[in-house]
Amino acid sequence: MGGRRRRSGKRLRPGLRTAGGALLLSLLAVMALLAPGVWPLTGTHTPIDVDLSLANLPPASAGHLLGTDFLGRDILCESMWGARASLAVGILAAGIAVSVGSLWGAMSALAGGAVDAVMMRVVDGLLSIPALVLVLALQSFMSSPQLTAVLPPAVLAGLAVSPWSHGLMPLATIVLVISATTWLEAARLARAQVMTIRSQEYVLAARSLGVGRLGMLLRHLLPNAAVPLVVEATLLVSDAVLMEAGLSYLGLGLGPGIPSWGQMVASAQMSLIDGNWWAALTPGILISALVLAVNLLGEGWLEVTGSRHHRVAAQPGA
Amino acid sequence: MTGIVIRRALAAVPLLFVVSVMAFLLMKAVPGDPVDVLIGNAERDLSPGQALALRREMGLTRPWPRQYLNWVAGWWGAGELGRSYKDGRPVACVIAERCPTTLLLVGSAVALAFAGGITLGTAMAVLSWSSLGRLLERACAVAALLLYSAPTFWLAFLAIFAVERWLPGWPILGPHRAGSGDQLGDALQHVVLPALLLASRKAAKIALFVRAQVLDEMGREYVLVARSKGLSKTAVVARHIFRNTMPPVISLLGLSLPALFGGSVLIETVFGWPGIGRLAVDATFGRNYPVILALIVVYGAIVVASNLVADVLSCLADPRVREQAMAPGTRPAPGGTGAA
Repeated sequence: MGGRRRRSGKRLRPGLRTAGGALLLSLLAVMALLAPGVWPLTGTHTPIDVDLSLANLPPASAGHLLGTDFLGRDILCESMWGARASLAVGILAAGIAVSVGSLWGAMSALAGGAVDAVMMRVVDGLLSIPALVLVLALQSFMSSPQLTAVLPPAVLAGLAVSPWSHGLMPLATIVLVISATTWLEAARLARAQVMTIRSQEYVLAARSLGVGRLGMLLRHLLPNAAVPLVVEATLLVSDAVLMEAGLSYLGLGLGPGIPSWGQMVASAQMSLIDGNWWAALTPGILISALVLAVNLLGEGWLEVTGSRHHRVAAQPGA
Repeated sequence: MTGIVIRRALAAVPLLFVVSVMAFLLMKAVPGDPVDVLIGNAERDLSPGQALALRREMGLTRPWPRQYLNWVAGWWGAGELGRSYKDGRPVACVIAERCPTTLLLVGSAVALAFAGGITLGTAMAVLSWSSLGRLLERACAVAALLLYSAPTFWLAFLAIFAVERWLPGWPILGPHRAGSGDQLGDALQHVVLPALLLASRKAAKIALFVRAQVLDEMGREYVLVARSKGLSKTAVVARHIFRNTMPPVISLLGLSLPALFGGSVLIETVFGWPGIGRLAVDATFGRNYPVILALIVVYGAIVVASNLVADVLSCLADPRVREQAMAPGTRPAPGGTGAA
């Protein structure tokens, strides 16, 4: 009846998808790496140079391959610098979120009983609040001057904060705020993983040999739960990227000093009325490409490793 | 059935308590308290003594549990912590008047995502039966994947640009034309575009999910039986498979409600809708603590309540879930997990 063949053809092969995602992702990473080298090609020195005489140049203008926006900023140049911000926010936020989530979930599973119940109710409660709303709330608190006041000077120096510049402070804030709202799925996943693993024989063997709880967690449980958690981290990168874009659109993003794709889309809104569609098109395509790459990579990976878990709850609103 | 509804509603109460405690702890955990913000907003300096007096007046020097109760009571205007910094009205009023707008937007989006996702997904699965259709189906799948990856507010810009150019006169901004707030046709015309955009990501996700689901179901024995009984493939899909794909889609939608409400924050901003999403953004910019903290609880309540509805719906759509829910002591996994 040909049913077999048809079923095997129902989706792209996982290996192909993973490879496609990895290729796309490395292209974007190369873009980010080459950013400081492109200004001779594009005619501007920095991605945030404003030159109103060059405003709204269409794509393929002399010296401006992808055109300029309404302030005369070169779109190619800004896009390449924006790749750095988007990748940095995505990777850092996902890394922190998965680390925190794994620890929380694993500890909850190990503690069991009432502690487990309370810890997981906290996760349930937070999951029922839209992540973007939580991010807005956190952002309104975090960006307050009080935060700069309570942070130790060493941290402020590390973030290049000075009286006349916020330095990397906006980046750190965004990363913290995003990871504070995206660790929840990872916590659930880690808990489920640890629950499954801990009843296996090698864990029982380790316990009978006298391995303590912490040692058990770090040496045996988390390493064996690592594959799905790493996949989760990959998928979280796309959530974080979309969240950053959404925040930037609302004007709560990285701020004018750090170019990012989300901010490019946001500022392109102004010039859409003048018929400047290219300023909005390029960064939007790049965000979509990054999200697509990460999703292909993560979900292809899920299928290669054979653990299919449908991930539906932790989609950002962006 | 009523028993299930009551049991679920009771289970939602502790969850809401957790949400409100989280919001309260958030207020306590961050550097700076409402008085700092109030002073900052007023842009005048208070002596430490005056600030302390203000703190005492607002009850910020009391023990935390007492503060929590004060805070919750304050939403209805009883205390200072429950009044919007912007105009001094109780936050419950400020939020309540904005809720219908957001509920209309998100409700329409849920309906569109559900109907559109299931239709598209089933169509894609059916298309894959012919070799020509399979090309089309593959194209649709790629399109859905792209749609799923694009940021919604960006798609919204492109849509506005396209509508401006090719459909001049189509209303874009706001929930209704000025002065015609209660005309159904006008409201529908206004809601279509924002709801479509809000639904697009979910619809794409659901379409891909339904397509995989239908193709999976095609290989099952009951389909073989139905086919050997003489039913055409289309009839099998329409009468048997369709019903079986509904419950997981309902629970998928239930799970993605927080994301839809989050998305409505952006869509309301793009399209100028005065809903609670826009309120949250304004409150963030204005450092309007009471409003944003109460909004967290309100969003939690809406999501918990709509999850309840989703639970009940999947009970109605799937007898297996219903039976699981009837069995005492087991928390049923919503959706046809029995078949998965």
